[in-house]
Amino acid sequence: MKKYLLGIALCFATVGAWANEAKLPKIELPTSPEALQRGAETVATVCLSCHNLKYIKYSDLSGLGFSKEKLGALSVGHGLDDSLMSPMSAEATKQAFGITPPDLSMMAKARVGGPHYVYAFVTGFYTNDKGKTDNHVFPGAKMPDVLGAASAKGEERTAIEYKAKEVAAFLEWAGDPKAQERRGLGRYVIAYLIVLTILLYLVKLRTWARLKEHHKRKHT
Amino acid sequence: MINRIIGWVDQRFPITAIIKHEATEYPVAPNLNYWWNFGSLAGVVLVLQIVTGIFLAMHYKADVTLAFDSIQHIMRSVNYGWLIRYIHATGASAFFAVIYIHISRTLYYGSYRGPRELLWWTGLLLLLLVMGAAFMGYLLPWGQMSFWGAQVITNLFGAIPLVGGHIVVLLRGDFSVGDPTLTRFFALHYLIPFIIAGAVVIHLVALHTVKSSNPSGLPIADKDNIPFHPYYTSKDLFGVGVFLIIFCSFVFFVPDAFIEPDNNIPANPMQTPPHIVPEWYFLPFYAILRSIPDKLLGVVGMGLGIVILAALPYLDRSKIPGGSRYRPIFKALFFVFIADAFVLGYVGAHPPEGPMVLIGRIATVIYFGYIVSMPFVSKWEESWLRKRGLPAPVQKYLDEQAAGGTK
Repeated sequence: MKKYLLGIALCFATVGAWANEAKLPKIELPTSPEALQRGAETVATVCLSCHNLKYIKYSDLSGLGFSKEKLGALSVGHGLDDSLMSPMSAEATKQAFGITPPDLSMMAKARVGGPHYVYAFVTGFYTNDKGKTDNHVFPGAKMPDVLGAASAKGEERTAIEYKAKEVAAFLEWAGDPKAQERRGLGRYVIAYLIVLTILLYLVKLRTWARLKEHHKRKHT
Repeated sequence: MINRIIGWVDQRFPITAIIKHEATEYPVAPNLNYWWNFGSLAGVVLVLQIVTGIFLAMHYKADVTLAFDSIQHIMRSVNYGWLIRYIHATGASAFFAVIYIHISRTLYYGSYRGPRELLWWTGLLLLLLVMGAAFMGYLLPWGQMSFWGAQVITNLFGAIPLVGGHIVVLLRGDFSVGDPTLTRFFALHYLIPFIIAGAVVIHLVALHTVKSSNPSGLPIADKDNIPFHPYYTSKDLFGVGVFLIIFCSFVFFVPDAFIEPDNNIPANPMQTPPHIVPEWYFLPFYAILRSIPDKLLGVVGMGLGIVILAALPYLDRSKIPGGSRYRPIFKALFFVFIADAFVLGYVGAHPPEGPMVLIGRIATVIYFGYIVSMPFVSKWEESWLRKRGLPAPVQKYLDEQAAGGTK
């Protein structure tokens, strides 16, 4: 049903996005809480060196099923109500990389392809003819190849790809932490509406069945 | 007790008379099909938008430094804020979908024809008001597409000779889109829905004066009409149920379908997105704008795209009653027009390069050609149909009209 709805939606909206989306490989995102937790850990230990996730607080991460101990370890030096902010200031990162790294809380929503873009980007580093590291998805990207995707081969590469999938899945969660609650509630809402609509249809049938009677009364 | 209260009110305010006149005794043709559901459906969506909008306004901050964050606050921290916001965002698209179907039905069945001119005009006025509200509302999330969309559209007014520059500054409250623009758009976005509600009342008064048209193409005799309540209240409510199933499927399962990814990036006046696209419901008009090479004429063309529809009651000169029922050419051209609107929408969504430019121009010519050629086509179609011999009910109707005219 979701695909069908998306199809309808795409007929009307976001038409301009098709061309780009086609280039991104569609990946199977991990959904287990453990994978999301590992994704959160990678983001907190690697990405957070430069990027912020200002809309996510450490306490929000408990929604991923982190134990108290793990959460405590992850938020060392921070309060649970602190947002996930990089220790580097915006000025410092700008000096180091030439740009301010974008906030990651909405990253999986702010790019065409969403988490698939994130995955394709972090695994898309390669060494070009001039011996410099570049990116297939975002040529000229200022971000360094943090997972080491450009040089990795074989099993090492597989491990990196899995890590990237976890990161993409976590960032998708971070972009819309209420998504699971929304879909859960949605099932009940739709089920209720279907029953209601069937009842309304029966009411309509019964009402209109009286139409003949109505006409008889009027004409006699 | 209840009766005594109602009696007390009735002596001071005609509540019972109004209910009788507008519902329990309001006469409606018995043969309306489901395409006639979309008027009341538009009313339902209007209420939905006003109610969710008021709750959003309780948490939204109209300030360029806070607006984007306040939307995320609503999405993440406000109880069921995500639900209210997704209903409101999806509701905008639903509103246009419902209105466009409502208007298409009017065109297909010739419902705009006399004596329903004022009903048609108030309807077009409502469309323009809803477009204004939607355009201003789209700025409020203060994302990249919000900002650049507003920048591009307000800039269009600069094409007006002499006063254009002043109008742009007046709209923006500044020389470019900024905090004054956001605050005034928010104020107007809150105001316009109540003007819309008032215009809906006028639309309904006009409707209840001339009554609904019907799909038979011929007027229905008074004695055959049925009361609105309970027949059409029950039919409309079933329609609302079907609508809500589709609507909630979007809200709960693909709520981002109508939100551009770029609009999840905070507005940045220093960085133009490579491709500025308006929301889907503006795309056909955006395509007309871009298909006309001259800036001023483009703006005029875009506006005319809606305004010219007001002339339809006078451009349709056929004596054959109704719309498509007895008029095959009219019917065929209707489908050409609708297909053309979709083509324009497709062109509007793509950069004006390569074949898109030519397709857009052809589609623009067809769009206006449909309207401008209507006086000739409708007359020619009438004489062609008369030569072929009119169906008995139409002939009977025309004879009665002629007899009535000589009396």
